[in-house]
Formats: sequence, structure tokens, C-alpha cells
Amino acid sequence: MDLAEKLEILADSAKYDVACTSSGVERPGRAGQLGSCRAPGICHAFTPDGRCVSLLKVLLTNCCSYDCSYCVNRRTQQRPRASFDPRELAELTIGFYRRNYIEGLFLSSAVAGSPDATMERMIETLRILRQEYRFRGYIHAKAIPGADPLLVERLGLLADRLSVNIELPSEASLNRLAPDKGKAAILRPMGQIARQSAASRRDLAVYRHAPAFAPAGQSTQMIIGATPETDRHILRLSESLYKKYALKRVFYSAYLPVVADERLPALSVQPPLLREHRLYQADWLLRYYHFSAEELLSPEQPNFDPYLDPKCSWALANPEYFPVEVNTAPRPVLLRVPGIGPKSALRIVQARRSQRLGMPELKRMGVVLKRAQYFITCSGRAPALRAARQEVAAALIDPKAFGVGVRQLSLDDFCAVPLPDSAPRVQALAAAGVEARRAAEQTRREAIECLTRRM
Amino acid sequence: MSYPAYVSNVSYCYDGSFRGFLCCVFESYAHRELPAAIQPPQEGQTSLFGSREIATRADRAARVAAGLHRLGAEIQACVTSGFLADEPGKDLILLRFLRCCFENGTAAAQMLARPEIAEALALARRVDNESHKYIEFLRFEQRGEMLGTVIHPRHRILPLLRGHFCSRLPEEDFMIFDATHGLAMLRKDKTVRYLQMQHYAPAPDAEEENWQALWIRFFRALAIKERRNERCQRTHAPKRYWQDMCEMQAQKRTTQPPGDVL
Ligand code: SF4
Repeated sequence: MDLAEKLEILADSAKYDVACTSSGVERPGRAGQLGSCRAPGICHAFTPDGRCVSLLKVLLTNCCSYDCSYCVNRRTQQRPRASFDPRELAELTIGFYRRNYIEGLFLSSAVAGSPDATMERMIETLRILRQEYRFRGYIHAKAIPGADPLLVERLGLLADRLSVNIELPSEASLNRLAPDKGKAAILRPMGQIARQSAASRRDLAVYRHAPAFAPAGQSTQMIIGATPETDRHILRLSESLYKKYALKRVFYSAYLPVVADERLPALSVQPPLLREHRLYQADWLLRYYHFSAEELLSPEQPNFDPYLDPKCSWALANPEYFPVEVNTAPRPVLLRVPGIGPKSALRIVQARRSQRLGMPELKRMGVVLKRAQYFITCSGRAPALRAARQEVAAALIDPKAFGVGVRQLSLDDFCAVPLPDSAPRVQALAAAGVEARRAAEQTRREAIECLTRRM
Repeated sequence: MSYPAYVSNVSYCYDGSFRGFLCCVFESYAHRELPAAIQPPQEGQTSLFGSREIATRADRAARVAAGLHRLGAEIQACVTSGFLADEPGKDLILLRFLRCCFENGTAAAQMLARPEIAEALALARRVDNESHKYIEFLRFEQRGEMLGTVIHPRHRILPLLRGHFCSRLPEEDFMIFDATHGLAMLRKDKTVRYLQMQHYAPAPDAEEENWQALWIRFFRALAIKERRNERCQRTHAPKRYWQDMCEMQAQKRTTQPPGDVL
């Protein structure tokens, strides 16, 4: 099999893993070596579905001995199989890296034979990169659940980021859909990585040349929509993972039916992309806005509103918190205003030291006021005091839920279709034969009406 | 206008160099005036008013540079990036910015609501954003012993790419050619030189074409058809960068199969 074909098969098998960032470690280049890392990470391309390509994301092999029911690579699935030779993959990584196609390698693997044997081959690939090519770029490696802790340790000394996928949001779902992996097999390496990574940071603070263990920390991923857990359940799980294992990121992957199985949603089910988006927004609120999962969702309201972003939902449910005075409110309070993010909040705090801020000043500074204007006052004056409730509702609602794109039927024949991440209601109407733009407009009107009544 | 007392209707003409610009700043202080325009040579003399040639003098430039240095890294970075902008009027924006900064000291960097400050920061941000896009999107080709690439930026961003690529590829020789401005950055034997050039066209050999084909095949394999959303792709990788990205050229060449959400 030629290299191009292998690459295609093993990239195709890896693509459902959504994490593809090169963030979390700042490492300038060094003479005699190749590569550097930038802390915010660098994207190098964007796929036609709008996702960033930062790393050469492939499986070392897709020949799996396990049989996880949601996975395209499971043992019982018919599909082309391939494996990289460690040296061949290292050479490919370097070739891509020098040409500025990628920031580094994201290496994961199906379980070929045993978890230990698989890990040995992954380690060999990283060793060639780090020691023979003196590669200083980014490496993200996925630890295989069930592997020997010593192997996890060796992997962590070569990689920048490690991840262990939690896969499904509850133990019951895991037992049902991934019988070969237990909850313990997933959580054990996670705990080990958290401990060793913290220990290595302590050592590094003392000895500059102490070996760094996964300096960019660890992340995990879970599949959304294959199993019945609520958003609240998922978000609380993420919150506890951030706390307990000091994770850098939790990634959410909308379940895309790839195999027919009576335990799973039917093949015709659309991936819940809007829900995935809401979870990312909420996850962001946990990490950068000091929100807690409990504030965002309650037992009575366990799922996010498809038409509002989570911060807006929270603001509408907590009117006593508003309006916020931009000239005096502390930064954490500003951060709770819909439409004001960390950058805007910082700019406001800096700018108001030298002058009072009104609407023209905020605009000039690049603060987006479309939604914020209903929640703030400038020197006591509310910029949108007399706005009708319906107008407010229309401004607050998230346009993403009503996205319509164009499908090309033939060279000169186009028709409108809902975007894949529009609200389920829009997609359902369109599927029932309503023209896409009308379906979106109708849904939007209903959503605004409903929100106006609630306000 | 923030300095009504100083506004004059003369326009400054200078040689377009950074030192020349610093001399314009000097002139503005020496004459206690804010010119109506500052024109580098490429911008033509379209002013209705009188113009004055501003000579570039090393001693004057050095005095202004020393003052700029005292204003701190943030303000310096804004002026350097802003000066690389290829936009008419950038010099005047930067002069107003600098006058405001000299008046207020280092604290000026945080006076984001002042029009002079906001305008200059926005200018610098446009340039920095573009240079960041090229850090992401430029694609090298191997040519003999060297890596080379052609880019088509709006602004003169080569100096902003220098640090990143020298750090990333410490042992490599490479050349980045800015086709818009006819300027190349050549790094050879660990030193960097800027060259005026009219033309540079890397022509990939068979091995290089093979690397590009591998990359394009990888890129195609990543797309998930159920998530297809090219509008989202375009917001992250705007079309104007596509000509410098081999995989996007390939995406364009294969006429879109029916069924794409555009
Ligand atoms: S272990 Fe399970 S999830 Fe991983 S590749 Fe094998 S079947 Fe897929």
C-alpha cells in the first residue's frame, strides 16, 4: 500500500476525534533543532466544515482488537485497514512541519493486539521525532486505556499534551456501548497524568532542566447525543474533571451515526451540532468567566435553550443582577454581561481609568453592543431604556440557530438548505418540505415570540 | 480634531522610511503644528495645499526614537506594526497617536477610548492580524537547498514574520517573497536580508509535488460531510488567502460536487 493511501485511511479513521489544538506550551526554537511552540496554538488550515487543522492527526493503526459500538474502527466493522511504520510517520511529520502545513503531530491509535504493544509503537514514533530529528514542535498523544503506567510515563516525557478520552458521559453508557473499556481503565491514567504533570511542574520550578512531563497538560473528549445524558449532567461532569484532574480542555463531539446498532441512534439522525456548540459556549463560561455549572442549568431546566447562548439565558433568568454600570463595575461583574468577553472587559477597565465611558467611547474601543446595550448603564444612563421587549428579544436571540446555506444541485441550479448547525426545529421543518429560508424565518419568529412572553 | 490650535494645512512629504517618519514627528513638534497630510513618495502629491519636503536626518530620528523607546513596549509595537500598514493616511494616524502618547506618557497605551489611540491601535491590529494569518497559512516549497514561498499580503508584513520563522526553522535557509510589494525576506546562513525583487516563482519539482499531493490528500480526508459548512471555513480562512494555500487551490480546482453547503 502506498504512503498516500495509508495517510488517507489513517486520517479518515482519526477525524472523529475533534481535539486539534497546539496550545498550552510556549517553546522558542533552539539552534541545532527543528521547531517551536506558541502558547495560544496555531491553526494551519480550515476544513470545509470549518474546523481548524493544527496537527497531523492520524492513527498509528486502525486495526482494532476492541469492539466499541460507536466507533468506525471497531473490530467487527468492514473497512480498509492500515498501519504506519513509526519511522515513516516521523518522516511525514517532519516533511509537513517544515513546509508550514502543521504545528506537529497528534498521535492516537486503535488497540492493535494489546494496549501495551500499541503504546510501545507510539512511543517509538515520538522517540524518533524527538531524539533523531530533534523535533521541538508540538506533540499530542493519546494514552491507551489499560496500558502500563510506566508506558504512560514514557509517553508523557515525549509529548506536550496527553489525552485519555472519557468517550461517554456516564458509566452506565460506557458499560453498554464500550464493553472492553471500563471507567477505571479511563480514569486511572487520567489521575496518573494529573499527578505526574503537577510533579514535573514543581520540579521544573526548582531545576530548570528537569524533564517536562506533558507540559501542555491533558485533555479529554466525550461524545454527545449517542446516550441520554442531559446537558446539566455533562457540564457538571466537565466541571469536576477540570477540578479533579486539572484538565486543560474537555472536547465535545456531536455523535455522528457511523454504524448501525440498535443501542445507538439511527443512521438517519443528524449530529446535534447546535447542542455541541452550546456546550462549548458553556464550557468557556466555566473556564474563563467564573461561572459554575449549577448557575447555568438547574434540575428543572437541565438542557440549554437552542435559541439563546448560555450566558444570555443566565442573564435573562437573573434580572436582579442588571443593569451593570460600565464605569464602576469590577471586571468579574462586567464579564457576566452578554456580549462582553474577557478582551472587552479588560479594555473597559483600562480605558475608564482616564475618562468616563459612554456609548461612543465603547463603540470606538471595539466593544460589541448589540446585546450588551440592554444590560448596561453608562454613567447611570441606560442606552436602550425604551426598547420594546420584542426588539430586545430579537437582538438577544442567536442567529446561528437559523443559519441557511446554499446547496448546489447542478452547475446553475441552487437551493437553500439549513446549515448543519442550525436548530433542530429548522431542520425538521425543512425535512417536512418547508422551504429552508421560510423554515428558518418561521422558527425565528416563534422563538422571538416565546422569548418576549418570558421576559 | 483634537489639536485645533495646531492644525495647519501644509502636507509633509518624506522618503517613506521609518526614520523619515520619525523626522516628520520631529517637524510637527518643531513647528507646533499638525499637518493636513503626511505623504510617503508612493502616495503621489494630491494635496490641495502646500507641501513641505521633510529631510531624513539621523540625529532627529534618533531623538524621536529615544522618546518612543521611553513610552514602553506596547506603544512601540503599535507604531512599528502600524507603520507597516499599506493604507493611505497611516502616517497621520500614527503622528496623532504619538503626540497623544508623548503628552500622556506610558499610560496612553490604556486610554483606549481616545480617538487618536483607538484609531492607531485598530490600524496596528489590522497589520498584526494579517501577519498572523500568514504565519498560519503560508506554505513553503523545497527548492534545492532552500525553502521558498510567495505571499500576497495587503500590508508590508515581512518584518513581522521574521522572528517566528527564524525561531521555528533555526537550521534552514528560506525566502518569503511578498509579491504585492516586490519585497523578499531572505534568510541564509542564519542572517536575514530584505531584497527588492520583481519576480520569484518557485516551481515545484516532482518530489515537491508529491509532498503537496500528500498534504492535499490528508486535508481532504479530514472533512466530515455531515458537518460541511463552507461559510464557516471562509470566516476562518478568508478567500483572499487562498491563492497562497495549496490545499485551497486544490479545493477550488475540483469543481464542487453537488450537495455542498456553501
Ligand atoms: S478501542 Fe474502541 S474506540 Fe478505540 S479504535 Fe478500538 S473500537 Fe474504536
